[in-house]
Formats: sequence, C-alpha cells, structure tokens
Amino acid sequence: MSNKAANSGDYLQYLLNSWSAKSADKLSGLSQLRARAIDSVNTQRLPNKRDEEWRFTDISPLTQLAFPPSQQQSKVVQANDLEQFYLPETTNRLVFVDGHYAAELSTIADAPIQMIGNLPAMMRSRASTIESHLGHYAKIDGNVFSALNTAFLRDCAVIIVPKKTVIVEPIQLLFVSTQEEVSSYPRCFVIAEQDSKLTLIEDHVSITSASYITNTVAEICLAANAHVQHIRIQRDSQQAYHLANCAVSLAHASQYQSVSVSLGSKISRYNLEVQLSDENSECTIDGLTLIAGQQLSDTHTCIDHIKPHCTSHQQHKCIVDETAHAVFNGKIMVRPQAQQTNSSQSSRNLLLSNTAKVDTKPQLEIFADDVKCAHGATVGQLDSEEIFYLESRGLSKESARKLLTYAFAADIIHRIPVASLQQQLEKIVLNQMQGV
Amino acid sequence: MSAVLQSLVNQPYKHGFVTDIESDVAPKGLNEDIIRLISAKKNEPEWLLTFRLDAYRKWQSMTEPTWQNVHHPKIDYQDISYYSAPKSKKKLTSMDEVDPELLRTFEKLGVPLHERAALAGVAVDVIFDSVSVATTYKQKLADVGIIFCSISEAVHNHPELVKKYLGSVVPVGDNFYAALNSAVFTDGSFCFIPKGVKCPMDLSTYFRINTEGSGQFERTLVIAEEGASVCYLEGCTAPQFDTNQLHAAVVELIALDNADIKYSTVQNWYAGDENGVGGIYNFVTKRGLAKGVNSRISWTQVETGAAITWKYPSCILRGDNSVGEFYSVAVTNNFQQADTGTKMIHLGKNTRSTIISKGISAGHSNSSYRGLVRITPTAEGARNYSQCDSMLIGDQCGAHTFPYIQVQNNTAKVEHEASTSKIGEDQLFYLSQRGIGAEEAVSMIINGFCKEVFQQLPMEFAVEATKLLSFKLEGSVG
Repeated sequence: MSNKAANSGDYLQYLLNSWSAKSADKLSGLSQLRARAIDSVNTQRLPNKRDEEWRFTDISPLTQLAFPPSQQQSKVVQANDLEQFYLPETTNRLVFVDGHYAAELSTIADAPIQMIGNLPAMMRSRASTIESHLGHYAKIDGNVFSALNTAFLRDCAVIIVPKKTVIVEPIQLLFVSTQEEVSSYPRCFVIAEQDSKLTLIEDHVSITSASYITNTVAEICLAANAHVQHIRIQRDSQQAYHLANCAVSLAHASQYQSVSVSLGSKISRYNLEVQLSDENSECTIDGLTLIAGQQLSDTHTCIDHIKPHCTSHQQHKCIVDETAHAVFNGKIMVRPQAQQTNSSQSSRNLLLSNTAKVDTKPQLEIFADDVKCAHGATVGQLDSEEIFYLESRGLSKESARKLLTYAFAADIIHRIPVASLQQQLEKIVLNQMQGV
Repeated sequence: MSAVLQSLVNQPYKHGFVTDIESDVAPKGLNEDIIRLISAKKNEPEWLLTFRLDAYRKWQSMTEPTWQNVHHPKIDYQDISYYSAPKSKKKLTSMDEVDPELLRTFEKLGVPLHERAALAGVAVDVIFDSVSVATTYKQKLADVGIIFCSISEAVHNHPELVKKYLGSVVPVGDNFYAALNSAVFTDGSFCFIPKGVKCPMDLSTYFRINTEGSGQFERTLVIAEEGASVCYLEGCTAPQFDTNQLHAAVVELIALDNADIKYSTVQNWYAGDENGVGGIYNFVTKRGLAKGVNSRISWTQVETGAAITWKYPSCILRGDNSVGEFYSVAVTNNFQQADTGTKMIHLGKNTRSTIISKGISAGHSNSSYRGLVRITPTAEGARNYSQCDSMLIGDQCGAHTFPYIQVQNNTAKVEHEASTSKIGEDQLFYLSQRGIGAEEAVSMIINGFCKEVFQQLPMEFAVEATKLLSFKLEGSVG
C-alpha cells in the first residue's frame, strides 16, 4: 500500500496512469471504446454514501487502497492449484488469472474454436459482431467502475453461440485471484444467437487470502428464443473488494435464468441490470448472500420491463451473521408500453446474530396499468416454532438451527443446474454455519 | 366506458370559490424583518422570536430536497406572502362576533362553526389563511382540563407547555420545509390532554387557504399526558387559482406513558385543473413521538387533493411496547403527483408498527409510496407489518413503491408486501351481471380496495372520504 491516494479524483487518475496500454495496441478496433471509457472516468468520481445508489455501502476505503492494475502472470499458477475449482460436468473452461487469460489452463472441448475464446483471438474471426455489441450493454456513464473496467479492456471471455446451437456442457469461466494489492479487471461477453442455448458458470475464486480488488463487467445479449442460464459464484478472499456489473438484454421470447451466490470479500457489490426489451421474454433471478464477520455484501438489481407480455421472477435471500451487513435493492421498472407484465420479487433475510444488519429496499416503478406486480420483503430470525418442532423430534437446538438455516440457503442453491457445484456450495454453507 | 362516465371526468372542484373578505397581508418575500413582523403582529414573547430566527438561519443554509419522485418548477420563496389574516377589529369573545362572511364560507364548506350544528360532538378549530378564527366547544373541554385552542393563544396562555414541546419532535432544522415552517408559522392548533383524561369528543382542525399568492404555514402540537387519549381530525380546502400555492405545515404529536393519539386527515386541497395548472404544493412534516411505555400513535390519511403532496407522517417508537400505525389512501388524478408514506423508527423494546398504504392513480398522475422501517439495535422484539397496494386506472399514470427496510436487531420481525393491480374486467363484468351500473361498480371496487383504511376513520370522516373518492374518480375509468 505504498501509493495512497488522498481523494477519489487522485485515485482514479492514479489507476489510469498505472495502466500500461502497450499490450492492447493490437486491438485497434476497440481503442475507440477504451478512449470513450477513459474520458468517462475523467468526468466521474467514486460514489459516496450521499449517492442514493450507494447509500448503505461505504466504498471510500478504496481510495486508501490504490492497488495498481495487475501485471500479466507475474506469478505462475499451477494447474493443481486450481483443480479444486474444476467441475467434473464440463471440460469447457476458460481460466483468467488476475484478469489475464491463461491459455495453458483453459480447455474447450465440444465447441468450435470460433465460439469461445479470449477477446484478442476472437477479434480475428468475429470482429464485426464483437465491435457492434461489446460495451453496448454495460453503461459506462454514471458507473465509474464499469467505465474503469472498459478503459482497461484487453482480455475478455467471449462466447458467441451461433443460431440453433445448443452447448450441452456448461461453460465455466474461472476468474482466479493470486496476487495481493493489485486490482484486476475481468470481463465477460456473451452473445446467444437465435434459438441457441447455453449454461454459463462465472466463478470468482482466489488462491490467496490477501487483499485485492476485483472490478468485473459481464455483458450478456440474448437474441430471439435464446436461452441462457447464468450461474455466478463470488467466493473471493475475505479481505478482497469485489465490484461487479452485469448487463443483460433479452430479445423476443428469450429466457434468462440467473443464480448468483455471494460468499466472499470484505466489501462486495453486484449490480445486475436486466432489460426485457422485446415481447414474451422471461427472466428468473435468484440470489443468495451468506456473510459473517465484518463482511458487507450489496446486491442491486434492476429489471426493466420495456415491452409487453414479459415475465420476471426474483428471489433474493440473505443470511447474515456476526457484525456483517447485507444490502439488497431490487428495482422493477414497468415502462408505459409494458402492458400484461407479470412480475414478482421477494427479499428474505435471516439475521443470525444481534449485531448483524440488513438494509433492503424492494422497489417498484410502474407506468402501465394492466400489470400484475407484487413484491415482498421479510427480515427476521429463525422461527421459534420450527425450532421447537425439530427439537420435539429429538434434534438438539443447535442442529435444529443449522438444519433450518441450511434449508433457507439450499432453496436457492438447488436451483443451480450443476450437481457438483451444488455440493461444493452446500459444503461451504455447512462450514460457515459452524458458529450458528 | 360510457358517455355518462366521460361527462363526469371534468367535475369541478367543489370548494374552489374565493371568499371576499378583507385581509391583512404581509408584503411578499422572506427576511428577518418579515419574521420580526409576524412575531410582532402576534405579540409573541422573545423566546419564540429566537426560535423563529434560529430556524430561519438554519433554513438559509439548507437546500430543497430533490430525492422525491415529483417534478415542479422551482419555487421562488421570495414571491410568497408569509402572513395573511382576515382583518378583525377587536378580539372575538363569542362565536356570534365572527365575521358573517367567514361563517358563510365554512357553512358552504360544511364545517359547522355553530356549536348547535349538525355535526355536533366534534370540537373544531378553524384556520383561515394564516390565523385561527374560531374554536368551538372550548368551555366544555376546559371542564375536563383539556386545552384546545389556537397555537397563538397557547403561546400566551400556556407558554410553559408550548416552550417545552414545540420543536421537540420536529427540530427547527429537521428538513427544508420544516425549517421554513418553524421560521414563519403563523397559527395552528394546540391541544393538551392532561393525565388520565379521555377526550370526550373528537377534536378537529379545519384549514382553509383563501388569499392568492399567500402560503400557509401552520403548526399543530398535540400532547397526550400519561393515560390520556384523543382522536384528532384535520381537513383542508383551498380556492381555485391558476398559480401554485405553498402549504408547508408541521404537526408534532407527543404521547407519554399509556397515552393514545389518533390523528386523521382528509386532505382535499385544490389539485389544479385537468391540465395540471394551479393547485397547492402540500409539503408537510408530520411526526409523532411515542415517548412513554405502552403509548400509541396512529396516523390515518386520505390524500385526494393538492397538485403535489410530499408528506411522511412518522412515528418514533421510543417507549417500550409502544405502537405506531399508518393507514393511508392516496388518490391522484389528472397531473397530480404524490410522494407519500411513513417512517417507523423502532427504538424501544417490543415496539410494534403497522403500515397499510393504498395508492390509486388515474389520468396522468403519479403516486409513490416511500416508507422507512428502521429497527435499531435497542429495539428487542420489534415487529412491523407493511402492506402497500397500488391501483392504476388508465395507462398514462404511474405507481411507485420505495420501501426502505433497515434492520439491526435479529429479534425483530419485519414483513413488507406490495402489489399493483387494476380494476379487473372480470370484476366489472361480475358486478354488471348482477345489475350494478358500471359507475357504481367501480366505486364499489375502489371502496373495497380502501376499506382497511376507511375503517380507521371516525364515522363522519369515513362518509366524507368515501364520497370524496367516488367523486374524485368518477369518469376516470373506461
């Protein structure tokens, strides 16, 4: 932490200056996008608690952590360091180490090479498709972290699923953090063309317990009738800062299902924006936050119903222990044209200790009259009657509490369509509950 | 839907007339001299002037809030007259001396100033523009020890009470509009229920803005001592002007141990015409402090008027086992905007709160529910239940929900539910198949939607509210 930046402006300047653009020169087609992002960063500042969107999450510690952008592969990662994260269900795997593509660790089995790969390689064959979509969904103005990520854009997982193609095995994007006191900028870009189908696993892991910053952006574009399942696991180190933006756009009758699980990081923030931009599109968004210690996990989602006859369902659950702090802000927007919208949202929060804290704000903004929209929020502890029932069946109070907490989380975990990942997460949940 | 309904859309605002009465109006603008003038006109003690000046200085350093979901042209605070009073030559001693023109005004509005009037059994304090013109049943209330009078009278006759409680729930610098009110408030109602007294009749304040270009800044202070209980009603109307008028009131309620205050409002300020011209800006700070153990504060509001409503009646539940309630119906039509809701701050143990909010939007209007439920670490066993339902009539309007839930105690139980719907074709079909006309059917469905809130209103108000609502929305369906 040798470079301390006093304020947000200095901090952003420091980051921009310490980025070496040399290695990105070859990607001239994207230099415009990067230049625009740099300009945008220059007009912005870090958000503070006076900004409504950051009311509950104090991100100001970042200015004290002027971690330079990570350099490529300064520490070589061995395959056996990562084996624990591999999923037996799939051999489609792209590995990024501190935001940089690690070709030797990545394997693509059942898909033609032009479909999945790192951005520089993909640019050779699919430049026009990429240029017309990349950076078009994740807003950079008004979102300084998304702008920073775009400004530093070089390596990026690119997945373009052609028409009427079903990728059977899930694609695992493994973003590994290895270095301390660096910032990394992973990026992911998915186009699911008409009638295609894909399961994507975005897994953020670390093999260090040090402090670092991850600033990630994902863009997912679904063409008509496309079907994307997006599983997102954030299990960064307990000292890490994780800032994530994900923008999803749905065309006619497409379906997007997402399960995001937030376990790690000292401070994490996940912004998910889903645009239902054509009729009959559908999204299901589930989330689980499981935190303890002094962690802060903030999830902001915005589901934008732009066209009629769209459906969205959302369930977000938080389990908060010790002095951790969970934040959820779920906005559902129904635009004037979006008649016959059907939307439901629920935020359920479980406080395990009397110092844990939850701020939740399920928000509806509705401009169309013929809609069915409902949301609900609950905050509480485990139901004493449920505990009593289990005790009457011979369980100890402790195991009754564990069982109920596990069941609360398992509800979301079981929506993940990959068995081995489910088991891994279940194990993590059970371990975390040792203190319950 | 039908021609009959269509013709009812443009129902005129019933209370839009102007009373031709000579008024004493202060020059437009706001500065320390105006505040001194108001204070001098009301012959106020020094401490109150200090209170006002303190508020004014705080106000100068504040900026207008911008977070609310409403839009209006910038208000020129120097273009408002901060004092307007019907001219009276001598002090009134009985109701018979009230200007007959004023009496006729309130007769027309259906507010009985005569104690023998039809709506007997309700004591009324009437505020016309900036000052209180009459208070009925004073003597009868005084017999049981209740003080019910205008706040200016209270300042003179019971300075120790006013000094003790004024600004204790809403501090002078609480927010932009509350600071403005604290600086320039001209009158309002004061009510004090002593220990152990159950108020024998409902108390009521009726507000009327009359003068064009004036703002109304009234202040209400209700104190219920240990074991006391009171039911308080508030009504408001204003004449029809093309200009917007500002109404920035402050209401403070204080409930000591085992006290019970029920505060009901039927707000029917002029809402502007069908093009959104004119109407009252209703920027009100209402807050109740449930200070004592087992105390209870209940807000009920039916908001049908005003071009813009910005109002969050709140409860600070400090006493253990205290209860806060909020029941609201907000109806917006044409170009009205309402951003309203409540705050429930749980501080004491086993505090409970209930929020029932119903929003109905029609025409081009927008209505927002904005609520905060905060459970602090000290609020062991706190409980909250919130329900916010919105109904949209027509495809040009909007309904928004912004519930903030902040919980810092794991023994708390907080539930929030919200839904948005419209009047279903099937519901209308069912009723018309039973021989009920379309218009009546709509009115039935809406009344059913609001029933939970109307049940909380005292009888006379409930009748008025039901009428007001059907009147307001007539013709907007179809």
